[in-house]
Amino acid sequence: MDVPVREVFRPSSLPEALAVLSERPGARPIAGGTDLMVQLRDGRAHAAALVDLGRLGLDLVLESESELEIGAATRMDRIAAEPRIRSLFPALAAAASQVGAWPIQCRATLGGNLANASPAADTAPPLLVEGALLKVASSAGTRRLAIEEFFLAPGRSALAPGELILSVVLPFPGTDAGARTVERFAKVGARREQVISLVSLAGRAVVGADGTLSEVRLALGSVAPTPVRARHAERVLAGRAPAPEVRREAAAALQQDIAPIDDVRAPARYRRLAAAVLLDRFLEEAARA
Amino acid sequence: MPEPVRVTLTLNGERRTFHVPPGRRLLDMLREDAGLTGTKEGCGSGECGTCTVLLDGSPVTSCLVLAASVDGHDVVTVEGLSRAGRLHPLQEALVSLGGIQCGFCTPGIAVTGAAVLARHENAPAEHARLLSGNLCRCTGYTKVLGALKAAATAGEENRG
Amino acid sequence: MAEGARPGPLGGRHERPDARAKVAGSTRYVADLALPGMLHAALAVSKVPSARVAGIELAAARAVEGVEAVLTAADIPGKNLVGVIFEDQPLLVEDRVRMVGDRLALVAARTPEAAWDAARLVRGRLEPLPSVHDPVAALEAGTTRVHDTGNLVRTFRVVRGDLERAHARAAVVVEAEYHVGGQEHAYLEPQGCLAIPEGRDRITIITSCQCPFYVQQAVARVLGLSLAAVRVEQAPTGGGFGGKEDYPSEPAACAAVLAFATGKPVRLVLPRELDMQASTKRHAVVVRHRWGAGRDGKLRFAEVETFMDAGAYIGLSTVVAERANVSSIGPYDVGAVRVATHVVYTNNLFGGAFRGFGQPQVSWAAEATMDTLARALALDPLEFRRRNVLDGRRRRMCTGQLLPRPVLARECLDRAAELAGWEGFHAKPRAASGARREGMGIGLVLYGCNLHHGGQRLDRSSAVVILQPDGSVVVRVGLTEMGQGNLAACQTIAAQALGVDPSAVQVWQPDTTTVADSGPTVASRGAHMSGLAILDAVNRLRTRLDPIAAELLGCARDLVELSNGFASVRGEPGRRVSVASVATEMAARRIEGIATGWHRSKARAFDAETGTGAPYEFYAIACQIARVSVDEELGIVRVQEVSAAHDVGRVIHRDALEGQIEGGIVQGIGWATTEELKLDAGRLANPNFTDYLIPTAADAPRIKIAVVESDGAGGPFGAKGVGEPSLIPAAAAVRNAVCEALDVEIRRLPLSPPTVVEALGERHPFAWLIAGRKEEEHAGLATADRER
Repeated sequence: MDVPVREVFRPSSLPEALAVLSERPGARPIAGGTDLMVQLRDGRAHAAALVDLGRLGLDLVLESESELEIGAATRMDRIAAEPRIRSLFPALAAAASQVGAWPIQCRATLGGNLANASPAADTAPPLLVEGALLKVASSAGTRRLAIEEFFLAPGRSALAPGELILSVVLPFPGTDAGARTVERFAKVGARREQVISLVSLAGRAVVGADGTLSEVRLALGSVAPTPVRARHAERVLAGRAPAPEVRREAAAALQQDIAPIDDVRAPARYRRLAAAVLLDRFLEEAARA
Repeated sequence: MPEPVRVTLTLNGERRTFHVPPGRRLLDMLREDAGLTGTKEGCGSGECGTCTVLLDGSPVTSCLVLAASVDGHDVVTVEGLSRAGRLHPLQEALVSLGGIQCGFCTPGIAVTGAAVLARHENAPAEHARLLSGNLCRCTGYTKVLGALKAAATAGEENRG
Repeated sequence: MAEGARPGPLGGRHERPDARAKVAGSTRYVADLALPGMLHAALAVSKVPSARVAGIELAAARAVEGVEAVLTAADIPGKNLVGVIFEDQPLLVEDRVRMVGDRLALVAARTPEAAWDAARLVRGRLEPLPSVHDPVAALEAGTTRVHDTGNLVRTFRVVRGDLERAHARAAVVVEAEYHVGGQEHAYLEPQGCLAIPEGRDRITIITSCQCPFYVQQAVARVLGLSLAAVRVEQAPTGGGFGGKEDYPSEPAACAAVLAFATGKPVRLVLPRELDMQASTKRHAVVVRHRWGAGRDGKLRFAEVETFMDAGAYIGLSTVVAERANVSSIGPYDVGAVRVATHVVYTNNLFGGAFRGFGQPQVSWAAEATMDTLARALALDPLEFRRRNVLDGRRRRMCTGQLLPRPVLARECLDRAAELAGWEGFHAKPRAASGARREGMGIGLVLYGCNLHHGGQRLDRSSAVVILQPDGSVVVRVGLTEMGQGNLAACQTIAAQALGVDPSAVQVWQPDTTTVADSGPTVASRGAHMSGLAILDAVNRLRTRLDPIAAELLGCARDLVELSNGFASVRGEPGRRVSVASVATEMAARRIEGIATGWHRSKARAFDAETGTGAPYEFYAIACQIARVSVDEELGIVRVQEVSAAHDVGRVIHRDALEGQIEGGIVQGIGWATTEELKLDAGRLANPNFTDYLIPTAADAPRIKIAVVESDGAGGPFGAKGVGEPSLIPAAAAVRNAVCEALDVEIRRLPLSPPTVVEALGERHPFAWLIAGRKEEEHAGLATADRER
């Protein structure tokens, strides 16, 4: 059945798209549509008009000396396969390969995953540990937004009306000689594939030659109203080697960083346990690095 | 009544133009406007895979694609997998190896499977992962994966 | 030479007759059918589980552009009743709502968008009433009544043997309570039908279904027509599993009423969410056990009490209970048995038929208790079963019926154990790396094929065979194809019997105007019942065919043999003429080339009060052994391999047989591990594939199959049924494997990650984190939201 929209725009330039988004009341952007189409069908989202972003050249991966820029309309299957993303930002590549199943990955976009602002968004924890910046535009101009400032509440982001995500900018991880960066993403679901996460965790840490961790960044999904950084756990780990008692301390500290609820997918109690397990497994990998 | 939107695309190798309501999904444009009912609707939320078609060679769940978005693009449905009246090798394998029961998931599986083969993907674990968006309730997947493996092996052999 | 022993397609893997059209996308299911002027139907349903209906406002719905009819109960021409056996269920609500999904009104419109928009605008003035959501608590005094007749619909029993004496002889007793969740069929094709009226005199219904005759009865009753005036044609059906046994009568009756009111064809296809909420489900049950065994490892007694959550209407619940009742103790020799199976009304989901039909639930519990007893006796679970399983000497099953020989339980156990490598697996220390634990578990089932004694009056089957002048053959049966291979089976059986190539035989879908009522395609009876009716028809046809063949061959009538497309003289294969030429000759002489066939199951004796006697005519046994690995910390179960041994009588079509076993195993695994119906006061909180998780291709285990053939069963060429024995043991085997892997008892199904982790209790490495913590609830995430 048709979704209830009255108009579709297919702008071929960014200024055109932004003009429609600011001038046409009830206009919303659509890229892959994998979230929005279902929400429109169910009446959980409304749009008098849709603005198709397919012709704006937002599907790209650009590399400069210090950063990688991924266009907002870049699809998950490309992000999962792109060699530079796999080697520099393995958590993001891993997350992209686990968004839905293959046909969804061939359609869903990075910008869409973020703009939907679900606490379970798979790409959010990786971007949080990777220190991503969002380039955002409206007909009034462009601005940059740190990923930490982007998620406000379930389904609500910091995008202002008429604003569009243009790209996600990822600064290269800088690592000193003798140290190694470990970056991982893990997602828990009852089934092997095509699941919304019960808990997800991205971790990045620099492991020194002496085994101590620095620049520890941890982020989790599905355990709070938004994707969150686990700053209590990070503080416990900073400058220390992940020995068993340190890991226990981190698991306990983690409980202060998360606020899971009982919902249709899992009870809060399970999420606390699973989050602790994912953190522990990340630290075990870091210890082996 | 909203203004119709013009959609011109290559559909199963043929250039076609449709005028559809703005809210039309690709799935309904294929089934209702183009009369190609091989692509099915099992859930309408992109989770079951029965609506899978190839968009520019990649499998997508057509229930989530706005018809207007495929203007200028290339779509292949299950009907387009055949060449000159002959079934695609994967379709033949599904038939001969017993990979079809009720048949409702079969078009979507054939389409996704054809895309898997086009990537020259041979690892059985990858086959299962790439097919995980096409749900089947009848076969338990054993003979479906068997057909995909057989078609992949035959494809390898054909390439020498 | 016995018919089955002659060369022919029997037991082979020839191409299934419907496969090619299906893979090309050219098979037309209900949603692929359209007629000029056709209207689209929609349903307005209750969102609350229990209410008094003060009124239903239709004005806003009627005002939607494109709407041609909005109807309520008052507009039903005949009787406002659906429900295949009992009269407790209206098609459209009158004064009461009893379940979420109860229909308030019907809408027909020129587009589906208009129809569903209008349905949303129907305003039911519903005054909520108290509701019942626990089938055990529902039987307590003072509980709200779902119907005036009280919440206990009926209790079925088995009473056999001296219980007191058996108690005295038991050294080990296990008491357990099992909470077994229900299951959604999740057929990929949603429920749907097309109703085509001829004035208000006759109607044709084309529907996705397992029983066109039930639909015929329901539509005739609702429209006030005779049965002969209602023609029901089964459309190619995209999966059933029991969910399309009786339920299709409801959408069909809705579409029929709208078709009569508008005078136009009406198509109704249920959206997935409504289908999941409102259609029938596997019953959730609570099973209480007290079983005892002696030091010698032999079972002494088994006491079982089962509470079946029927939902708001009985539907087929009493029939499900009959099967569950007599299947409660499994294929074991037990001298003293007390079983009570209660069917209970609640305001939960509508319990009905689902592959296994009550048996999966009670078998799951029985196999769990068997393992618990084995552990208590320090016996290997395989050895414990060997000591207790029924066999050729001890063949008295639960109700006291003597099983017909051969009884192949031990063979199935042994074959499955061999395939699984049971001995080797248990001989070495169990593999454990990190949090991964491995285990193996057994599921064993004794399945009564065909309908229970209580359903005997339905147990008949009709066939028609028409020999065409060119030698091709049309076959019509009353049983349906829903993917399980009934078309292939019928084609194979007819081809084998007529000695022709399967490609010469065309089996067309059932139509109530071409065959007589053959009952539902359920209970693994499809191949058996249609096969025997076909053989009967072929025998009658041959009374006219053989004389002509004999004449053409110049031999005596009783020497005519049919095989490989030829009629030949027995003992002189060189003397032959093609079957096609015999058919041509018959047509030329205007000899009747059409024959009907009929089969009825044998009458048997069964005492419904004591549950003793012969509930089923014959039985099939199946053993499945699952090997699992469990991530102990996350509670995630992965089924690595299932070894299955099935007592099938005779293989009709090997691909179809394996397909049933493989499909049944995976559906059983899904039920046991990831499929959970999450209820919120009668409302299904996960009515979609996003959150109701069925296995994907990535979850399929490796499956090994051993087929055990034997003579004696009365099916076509000796075939039994396999549709349900393929599912029932899998869930039990998985549970037992997980419990072995983790060394815990789990008594709740499904074994979801939270349930598995809960079972570990204090043993979980992070249990200390949770001790003493109070949870807070945030409203924001409490609703199911689907995101990527």
